[in-house]
Amino acid sequence: MSDRSITKLLVANRGEIALRIIRTARRLGIATVAVYSEADAGALHVGVADQAVFIGPPEAARSYLNADAIIGAARASSADAIHPGYGFLSERPDFARAVEQAGITFVGPPASVMSALGDKVAARKLATSLDVPVVPGLETFDERTAAAFAARAGYPLMVKAAAGGGGRGMRLVEGAAALPEALAAASREAQAAFGDGRVFLEKYLAHPRHVEVQVLGDGHGGAVALGERDCSIQRRNQKIIEESPAPGLGDALRARMIEAALRIARATGYSSAGTMEFLVAGDEFYFLEANTRLQVEHPVTEMRFGCDLVAEQLRIAMGERVIEPEPARGAAIECRIYAEDAEHGFRPATGEALYLSLPGGPGVRIDTFLTPGARVGTHYDGLLAKLICWGTDREQARLRMRSALEEFCLLGIANTAAFLRDVVASESFRDARLSTRFLEHFFPRWRPGREALDELVAAAAIAASGMFAGVGPADRTAAYSSGGAAGDGARMQGRRSPWAELGAFEPWGRRSR
Amino acid sequence: MGAAVAVKVKLKRQDDAQVFEVELLAQNGQSDSSGARSIRLTIDGRELEASIVPMRDGCAVIELGDRHVRMAAAHRRAAILVAAGPFTAEFSIVEERAARRAGGLAAHELAAPMPGKVHKVLVAEGQRVEHGEALIVLEAMKMETTLYAESAAVVARICVAPGQMVDHGTRLIELSPPGSAATPPESPPQDD
Repeated sequence: MSDRSITKLLVANRGEIALRIIRTARRLGIATVAVYSEADAGALHVGVADQAVFIGPPEAARSYLNADAIIGAARASSADAIHPGYGFLSERPDFARAVEQAGITFVGPPASVMSALGDKVAARKLATSLDVPVVPGLETFDERTAAAFAARAGYPLMVKAAAGGGGRGMRLVEGAAALPEALAAASREAQAAFGDGRVFLEKYLAHPRHVEVQVLGDGHGGAVALGERDCSIQRRNQKIIEESPAPGLGDALRARMIEAALRIARATGYSSAGTMEFLVAGDEFYFLEANTRLQVEHPVTEMRFGCDLVAEQLRIAMGERVIEPEPARGAAIECRIYAEDAEHGFRPATGEALYLSLPGGPGVRIDTFLTPGARVGTHYDGLLAKLICWGTDREQARLRMRSALEEFCLLGIANTAAFLRDVVASESFRDARLSTRFLEHFFPRWRPGREALDELVAAAAIAASGMFAGVGPADRTAAYSSGGAAGDGARMQGRRSPWAELGAFEPWGRRSR
Repeated sequence: MGAAVAVKVKLKRQDDAQVFEVELLAQNGQSDSSGARSIRLTIDGRELEASIVPMRDGCAVIELGDRHVRMAAAHRRAAILVAAGPFTAEFSIVEERAARRAGGLAAHELAAPMPGKVHKVLVAEGQRVEHGEALIVLEAMKMETTLYAESAAVVARICVAPGQMVDHGTRLIELSPPGSAATPPESPPQDD
């Protein structure tokens, strides 16, 4: 049996990932503790956990990023383990160390591994020492050596933050004239975002694909890979659609990448779930960075391998060894639905879910915290839902995804579901013409097509006709409910559906008088 | 039976200020067993046949051509927020004309199409009004809705006052045929 059993798990996160982790813990018979900020009182993860601890004001820096408050919550609730989810404190070695020092199990790799891989410059050096190719670049430089490297490698170049992630502290440099300013700006941005202004230079690859390998290590020298994910469809370095297997990736190249990922995992004594990210250009691949946490897109791998990566993380945290996964089956695709206005430069959106209908059916999984009445504010990341579809082959998964997106209906929060629907339905996606510039190329400006506009206009005319005023909630404080919508909260209690009472489309006046 | 709703409305999509001229005609009493009801829709002169099936969760499914789309709508301030499947948009009503009940001068009365508050009464008793003339403004869901005369008529009686709350179907104004004496029939003919 294990040397560190977990009986009560605190989930130091929110939203869909908190729910997803709580689900697995519950299935394994582990009690769960949620934490929440002021903005998340009444959020689903708070209600679903066995216990919930308030940790502070809405600002992430004073709640979900407040290590002391979270460790304090774990102590107060007698949790013996903390799962950080993704984002927030998940990749902070200091936090992992503080958790372990408090006598609590951190569900993730040890701080030392995180430090070794979290710094991009150090990770590049490590990869090079293991004969894993990296994008040609320069880690330490002054203006003169930088210019010399640029002349040798050729423009464009990328300036990246050593401590970076999520596209911050990153600059594309088109020519020599722009180099000094790009270095300075990236450094400023990195300093502001990560408290670390170190930057490095990399050759810019024009149309690479982003392919990553999922690994599990047990800290006893055991490490296994669970295939790859292609995450090329990105917007501003933010992944939007991920899939596995990577379409058209040759077996030999895949095997080399997996072998390289395992070499890095073994060399660092990796434990828990992690991801080795690569850029692929032609038949070459280059190590990009390691993510020492569960990834947002981990369900893609779970669908193909029929596994539960959170359960694996918990097993490993309890001291168990990794085991070879079952062979992968079929293909899986994930679409991330964000609270963003796709028609207007993806500006962040806020609001309340006035109406919500979620898709279902064979091979369809949706990870979300949305419920009717759920509110989305500006404090946190705008990820609303992850839709994951599996098929025996990519085309079946793609068609399931298209149908599932067409079933998704959310009124009250502008979101990217319609945009994703059009991307998934497109020929360019069907034909897997994938590169990290896919969206720039094929969807530079998006707006709803003619058919969708007809549907929207028809719906608006029906609503405007007055006679059909009962289609959907009447306003944000008086949503109609047919009396069966459980869990919708007090907001929905006021009125019954006019459909239920009046029957279909009879003018209000005739019955109510 | 035989009542119809016809709405002519100009809708402006907030995203790009594109304006759509829409006419919607719905016959009453033609629901099939599933509750589906046919409507005829004209968008910028293009005619579309559609049917609507109300759902118990408060949304409806519209069938438009071979497509089945779930729709939901809400009023937000002066705008209409709609979802059609994954697509969403916000529209404002630029102009709305002549919601009428068929059946000749079926409009022996003007009834409130929705619950709300009487915002303004724009006519006086005894006044002759023309087809399409604005009669009364209701305020509901923070949105003003103007009700128009469906045909030329004489305002026989004004049954409500500004500020008054009204229910669906509350009689607002009684009308007489143009040129007739300003005495309405005691009991206006009802369709059902």
